[in-house]
Amino acid sequence: MLILDRILGQASEPELAERLHQIGHVGGLELLQVSGDDVQRRRLRLTSDAGTDCAIRLARTQRLSDGAILLLDTERAIMVRTDQPQYLMVRAVDAAGALELGYFAGNMHWSVRFDTDVLAIQIKGEVQDYLDRLTPMIESGKVQVESPCVP
Amino acid sequence: MSVETLSVESRPASKVGAARVGIGGPVGSGKTRLLEQLIPRFIERGTKLAVITNDLTTHEDAERLQQSGLIDPEQVRAVETGACPHTAIREDPTLNIQTADELESLYPGLDLVLIESGGDNLASTFSLDLVDYWLFVIDVAGGDDIPRKQGPGVLHCDLLVVNKFDLAPYVGVDLERMRRESLQARGDRPVLFTNCATGQGVDDVVEAIGQAVLFDQS
Repeated sequence: MLILDRILGQASEPELAERLHQIGHVGGLELLQVSGDDVQRRRLRLTSDAGTDCAIRLARTQRLSDGAILLLDTERAIMVRTDQPQYLMVRAVDAAGALELGYFAGNMHWSVRFDTDVLAIQIKGEVQDYLDRLTPMIESGKVQVESPCVP
Repeated sequence: MSVETLSVESRPASKVGAARVGIGGPVGSGKTRLLEQLIPRFIERGTKLAVITNDLTTHEDAERLQQSGLIDPEQVRAVETGACPHTAIREDPTLNIQTADELESLYPGLDLVLIESGGDNLASTFSLDLVDYWLFVIDVAGGDDIPRKQGPGVLHCDLLVVNKFDLAPYVGVDLERMRRESLQARGDRPVLFTNCATGQGVDDVVEAIGQAVLFDQS
């Protein structure tokens, strides 16, 4: 198990980008895929694409993000890759439907954002779980799912 | 010199604090009893810990632990939410974050802060800004249909604990079906059965927390 307890920097920084490029050429760059659900965590255990058992243990002031570098030496680096958050785009057909959809989403404690007249519901877990919950409103024609899942 | 001009190797490291683990679940499922079983086990294995309990308008759970003799009473803090406690672990966990920060400041060697909160029946979840890992505790006396109801707490917790398994014969619960349906609902993420009255199954809970956030060697 490899303990990774700090974010050294971001891959987009020029100094780091050059070093990562060189390490990548000798096959030393490992990627650590972190799901959208897990990216908020300060502690988690994951396996890199090269099979390294990694234990991430960050200070509360640090936060994982795409491109975060957790290990860097002359021949090896470990970089975080994250999924972009996925959203279910739901449009209410009228004001009454919008009220009901808004109430329902709040009651479900879903994370949402507003995109003009579309409610964007952040998918945490399986998209089907959200569609199942919305089925009565979809089947009654009160709302329409604009897109199953978009970044 | 700004951080941007420092080489990677010379950038200052931030202090890594204690792991924070949430324990949620319906009222009466056995969360405080689970704490009473976890505390001596963590102390026995050398884990330095503190506890935060969330209550609506009292400090009852904290006082129960403070008077238990299991842990230094100063290392148990109560958060009195004034509203349904789940709001203080999910929507706005500031009170709990501040309390955990304060405990870590007072006790710098802490390895683990356990944060217990009930409320919101099966829909209670923890913000990952507050905790690194969280358990949801249900009990068989609440009915074997709980996993099928797929509440967010059951679905999204890192570890589902089904407590009071010893009561199954008395409340007509089929434990094997409950286990199977729990795993189905959770996509095979872990489910453990405990009897917190006697401590049966609690060692496995300690082991799961140790592996997930204290990073014990396998």
